[in-house]
Amino acid sequence: MDGFRSDPDELLRKIKKEERSQQVTGHLKIFFGYAAGVGKTYAMLKAAHAAQRRGMDVVIGYVEPHARPETTALFEGLEQLPDLVAAHRDITLHEFNLDAAMQRKPQLILVDELAHTNAEGCRHAKRYQDIQELLKAGIHVYTTINVQHIESLNDIIASITGVAVRERIPDSVFDNADQVELVDIEPEELIERLNAGKIYRETQAQKALGNFFDIKNLTALREIALRRCADRVNRMSEKVRLSHRDIYYTDEHILVCVSSSPTNSKIIRTAARMANAFKGAFTALFVETPSFLQMNEADKNQLRENIRLAQHLGATLETVYGDDIPFQIAEFARLSGVSKIVMGRSNMQRKYVWSKPSLTERLITLAPNLDIHIIPDQNTPIYKRKRMRQKKGRVVLLDAVISILLLVAVTLVGFAFRQLGFSEANIITVYILGVLLTAAFTNQRIYSLICSVVSVLTFNYFFTEPYLTLKAYDEGYPVTFLVMFLSAFITSTLAVRMKQQTKQASEAAFRTKILLETNQLIQKGKGKNEIISVVANQLVKLLRRDVIFYLAAQDTLSEPIPFTVGSPPISPAYIAANERAVASWVCKNNKHAGATTNTLGNANCLYLAIRVNDTVYGVVGIAMPGEPLDTFENNIMLSILGECALALENETALKEREQSALLAKNEQLRANLLRSISHDLRTPLTSISGNAGILLANANDMDEKSRKKLYLDIYDDSLWLINLVENLLSVTRIEDGTMKLRLSAELMEEVIAEALRHVNRKSTEHKIVVQQPDEFLLAKIDARLIIQVMINIVDNAIKYTPPGSNITITTSAQDGNIIVEIADDGDGIPDDAKAHIFEMFYTANKGLADSRRSLGLGLSLCKSIIAAHGGEISVRNNSPKGTIFRFTLPKEEVTLRE
Amino acid sequence: MNKPLVLAVEDDAAIRNLISTTLETHNYRHLTAASGESAIMEAVSHNPDVVLLDLGLPDIDGIEIIRKIRSWSNMPIIVISARSEETDKIEALDAGADDYLTKPFSVEELLARLRVTFRRLNYSANNTGNESAVFENGNLKIDYSACCVYLDGKELHLTPIEYKLLCLLSKNVGKVLTHSFITREVWGSSWENDVASLRVFMATLRKKIEKDPSSPQYIQTHVGIGYRMLRV
Repeated sequence: MDGFRSDPDELLRKIKKEERSQQVTGHLKIFFGYAAGVGKTYAMLKAAHAAQRRGMDVVIGYVEPHARPETTALFEGLEQLPDLVAAHRDITLHEFNLDAAMQRKPQLILVDELAHTNAEGCRHAKRYQDIQELLKAGIHVYTTINVQHIESLNDIIASITGVAVRERIPDSVFDNADQVELVDIEPEELIERLNAGKIYRETQAQKALGNFFDIKNLTALREIALRRCADRVNRMSEKVRLSHRDIYYTDEHILVCVSSSPTNSKIIRTAARMANAFKGAFTALFVETPSFLQMNEADKNQLRENIRLAQHLGATLETVYGDDIPFQIAEFARLSGVSKIVMGRSNMQRKYVWSKPSLTERLITLAPNLDIHIIPDQNTPIYKRKRMRQKKGRVVLLDAVISILLLVAVTLVGFAFRQLGFSEANIITVYILGVLLTAAFTNQRIYSLICSVVSVLTFNYFFTEPYLTLKAYDEGYPVTFLVMFLSAFITSTLAVRMKQQTKQASEAAFRTKILLETNQLIQKGKGKNEIISVVANQLVKLLRRDVIFYLAAQDTLSEPIPFTVGSPPISPAYIAANERAVASWVCKNNKHAGATTNTLGNANCLYLAIRVNDTVYGVVGIAMPGEPLDTFENNIMLSILGECALALENETALKEREQSALLAKNEQLRANLLRSISHDLRTPLTSISGNAGILLANANDMDEKSRKKLYLDIYDDSLWLINLVENLLSVTRIEDGTMKLRLSAELMEEVIAEALRHVNRKSTEHKIVVQQPDEFLLAKIDARLIIQVMINIVDNAIKYTPPGSNITITTSAQDGNIIVEIADDGDGIPDDAKAHIFEMFYTANKGLADSRRSLGLGLSLCKSIIAAHGGEISVRNNSPKGTIFRFTLPKEEVTLRE
Repeated sequence: MNKPLVLAVEDDAAIRNLISTTLETHNYRHLTAASGESAIMEAVSHNPDVVLLDLGLPDIDGIEIIRKIRSWSNMPIIVISARSEETDKIEALDAGADDYLTKPFSVEELLARLRVTFRRLNYSANNTGNESAVFENGNLKIDYSACCVYLDGKELHLTPIEYKLLCLLSKNVGKVLTHSFITREVWGSSWENDVASLRVFMATLRKKIEKDPSSPQYIQTHVGIGYRMLRV
């Protein structure tokens, strides 16, 4: 019977899994136009009305206020959500209210202007992120967008119209929409509409007309929009076709190099379009050189912007480290099977002023098999890298002092040399040494340069005739000076670069070490908490920032577990309720958010999900008081978190395995129990019904004595059954391996007295003595169960000892425990049986229960009950003969209330 | 005195048969009811001396029947329940039941409970006038007005709590009082800790009034439920 019942937990898990896989994400329908005024919003509202007529629950989430009466009229009859009013400086902004929408949870929601950028303080930076959240929650969304807002088309359109739009959406949002409806009208008609003032109000219309809405532009835009739509359809059918054949990508792999150049964005876009056209893989590569650390803030921002753009366009970002950019690119390309490299022309003349061939040339030599596509970007100003001036004044001053001191020292040595009559060449060498030392001891290259110049000048001033002037008589001196300057400068440059490389190498080594160490520590870590503390401490060590962990279980987060740099207490700003809210958003949506991201960007920490595929095991928060993480740190952090997630997954899997093993064991026990019970029930029941049947039929023919014998058998068997049922009732209270106890303070003498009232009535043939101390022994126990324990042990003693034996029950207190000993002076239990006596279905007779009256349940039950009370049960020999059962119970200390 | 009338409410025919046979052979008049509905009808129309009530009835919850009967009568109610329904027992006692029997019960036990109940009934019927002044039970005598307790004619020295306990039990002689009822009555509240105190005071009280505390004559323990003073 038990075998057919499937395990409810398993069933539940299955159902949940199915639910998860069936969890409907909402459908996204985009109303797509080539310019404002084509009637997207109108079409969307029309469609909404149609949907409502079909019986859908439709709500207007946000529609831009329109002056067009035809559009406004369509608001009629649709529920409108209140806007989120955000005060921004002096103006109040109306924004789409995501929270209200999630709470209202309609079937279909209308949200205008997909590319909109939200006001500061909203959950997401961009509206399309709001919409993604709605879709994830299973809400269908209608939205609108114009062609110029699509990222990859942005620059083309800007070049046509001369107007660049800042609000853009990643192509993937557009391509992954479930439905795109192109709202199209003839450009002439659009201009007519515009002139009729239907689109913008008067003054705006003039302006718009001037720079955007001319027939040529509109036709071009329309063409792009139509083509983009067709492209999307084409790609979709391609995808369907390919997905059946299990291959998606062609062999093409397009690589674009990301730099901090502002023109880089154009190159990235071009590369993305190529990747699309070839349907190839798309990788953005950033080569981090030693100079990266000195990059100024504006350049860093530009770089981040470019990286973000590349990711938007669907590129996977990779970072490599090294000084030699073309070599790194070529290596990467070779290793990752890149087929085409897209680069800008500005890259070609970037920094190799003196000796080296251009980047492209070197790349061609290093990787002759690659296609290299060079995108011209000449009309942009030549890009120059500025040095970061961030060093503290103190350091600058120190560097200057070091330089001057060295210079003075070198000059003094020079004087000494001249006194000693050494040649000028020696003095020059000393100066070069001075510059070399300056380069070694100072932090910036400018000092080496100045030092080189000053050295030449001082040498000229002090050591060339005429002395103490900057003139030089000898005709060879200018050459000497030039050579001296060049050798000083080149030496110092090399020294500086070596210093930087050493620093970088050591940093890289440090990070690699951390990664390795983390891996090893995680392998050793046991249990979730240990894994987390290992990972967190490694992150703290690596990032030198405070780290906060949240463990996730069924979409709810644990309390924050903070880890700080050093050991000061964590700043309360990092574990405040609103920070936790960000963390739980991350947990629910399985996306990163918080500081430095586009989602909930005003949080104090950056939050990342620790996840394997769709399962989030926790959320980690990284305090972001200063600048964002650099790419290297970011990548290492991600790999550490990846390791962490895998470890947590293993841990969970292990737990689940253990649990199912336990379940299986319990199931096995229950099955054994049932088998054993049915046997043990049948035997006395057969006797009862048989004896009763005989009495019913033949009572009159039997003599008094044999009748009495039958009555007695029936009575004994039923008593035996009663006792069995009592034990079974106690067994049923053992659920999930633990017992549900109803603990209360009980007086031991009362408990013993009650137990003795229930022991087998044959006890009259045995002498039972209770020895108790004078003090009151109170135990915190479930009286019903402990009575059962005593009944079982005493009944056993009665059963297995000859009539007339003595049974002594002793109670005493020791170390906060109450000790109960039940001793008999019977034949005792053989030693090999003692080891098994508390196992289920073991009987003192032999082996497994198979004979009558043998349900070996009593003592095993006793053991479970005592263990559930936190006590111990044991058995030992009595002297001179017999057995002592001993068990402990928690003592209850009581303060009397009078 | 007339033969007492017992109403047995039990839905299981075999047990109903067992009870009625027992009652018949021991000279009690009896009525039976198989459902809560008919039990209340019988109780109203015949006003029995004692009700034996099974808690697990098919139509009405046993506790509900106790409340209904208690709304118009103080007739003793003895609850019959299976052991697994321990909390139900306490609830039933708190709702106004006088005693309980646990299935499986023996016939002797059933008869003993009935005897206890009738003794109490007879006693209170004979002592309606001076009940509040002096209580006598076997060799135990309580003078409520003087706050004195005598055993075998000798005065006992009880602490205030012990005296309160004894008074409470004596005034409800024959009735099982639950732990929470006693602690509420004696201490005015029912704490977790009070049960422990109650056990200790009950034990000291017993030492003073019982000749052999391990087989008590006056105060009976019902483990997990409460205490009862027996009419000796």
